[in-house]
Amino acid sequence: MILECGDLERALRTPELMPDMRAHAEGCAACRQQLYLWDEISRLAPGLHEEWESPFLWPRIQANLAAEPTHRRMPWWRWALAAATLVSLAAMLQPWMQPWRSGEFNNPAFLTERALQEVQQAEAAYSRSIEKLSALAAQNLEHSSSPTATAYRERLTMLDSGIAELKVTVESNRYNTYLQRELASLYRQKQQTLQEWLQNANHN
Amino acid sequence: MVEASLALLIHPLQATEYSGESELLAACRRREIRAFEQVYLTHGGRLKSIAWRILGNRPDAEDAVQETFLKLYRGIEAFHAESNLGTWLCRILINACHDVERKRQRDAQAEPEEKTAGPKNQLPLRVALDQALERIHPRHRMVFLLFEVEGLRHAEIAAILEVPEGTSKAWLFEAKKELKRMLTETRR
Repeated sequence: MILECGDLERALRTPELMPDMRAHAEGCAACRQQLYLWDEISRLAPGLHEEWESPFLWPRIQANLAAEPTHRRMPWWRWALAAATLVSLAAMLQPWMQPWRSGEFNNPAFLTERALQEVQQAEAAYSRSIEKLSALAAQNLEHSSSPTATAYRERLTMLDSGIAELKVTVESNRYNTYLQRELASLYRQKQQTLQEWLQNANHN
Repeated sequence: MVEASLALLIHPLQATEYSGESELLAACRRREIRAFEQVYLTHGGRLKSIAWRILGNRPDAEDAVQETFLKLYRGIEAFHAESNLGTWLCRILINACHDVERKRQRDAQAEPEEKTAGPKNQLPLRVALDQALERIHPRHRMVFLLFEVEGLRHAEIAAILEVPEGTSKAWLFEAKKELKRMLTETRR
């Protein structure tokens, strides 16, 4: 294949074209120079590796590691998460437990007024727990520019928007158990997302 | 130099009291300091070099390496053997470097770059390359640094930066293109 100066970038991207590009460069000083630089960059790069003696670095690290507790306590946010999960489970089970206890099993699709209040209280408590978790995660999530952090931020924004929309719908259909379950599911997803991020941040 | 880096990746653990990486990791999980020392001996040099490239001075680079080992110590249970320990360390290190950078920005006490204190007998093109590397896009620079300078593979870089392998290749190409353009301008 006969290549010209305009084919240089395509050739650099495509190793198969390089022999033809080099053939062109034999008679073209400008392309020859470009190919020379391209090769030189890779040839010289390993020389940019930096080595130096650090006689005090390992002893410093060693002292720090020795000062670390051997068994780490469970972080407080995990306790908070466990508590929030229990509250959420209780809230989800409450509407079904209540009619069974009182013999009101005739209308399982709708919540009773009392059960609704309990669900709403539980939801508020759960929401507050998640917001605490959210505040904790926000400390490093907002400052991180990694692709992972961006993905987590987008997901959380999407979940927040879904929760806000569903809350409005729930307001006009307060006894609809399906909507309540959907809302609980969104909260759970948010909790899981925050948990994943915090674990990720902890590991890194 | 590349051969040395590749050797580290292919044989992450040099001959030591541990028979292999799994035994070393088991010792790390038991919080045996000697095991961490072995990790340091194996990977410390490359970690320092990467941190120095990112942060621009040796004290900060050493701080980042120290922080990396603390995070390794605290989070060793989270490391799963399906990935390479060196790759995982690089990922922790890069995050640690970003933390140091953020702290430095907050403190607004960034010292001038000491990189110019390198060997005086460098060839002009290498000096120009060193300087041009500072001016290219940070993510392109990171891939160039990991691939061309430190000898990592695209699969490993993709795991470190949490991007697809194709993205790593594309960023390397962009890095070299930017560098070539800058070097062309320098030589005019």
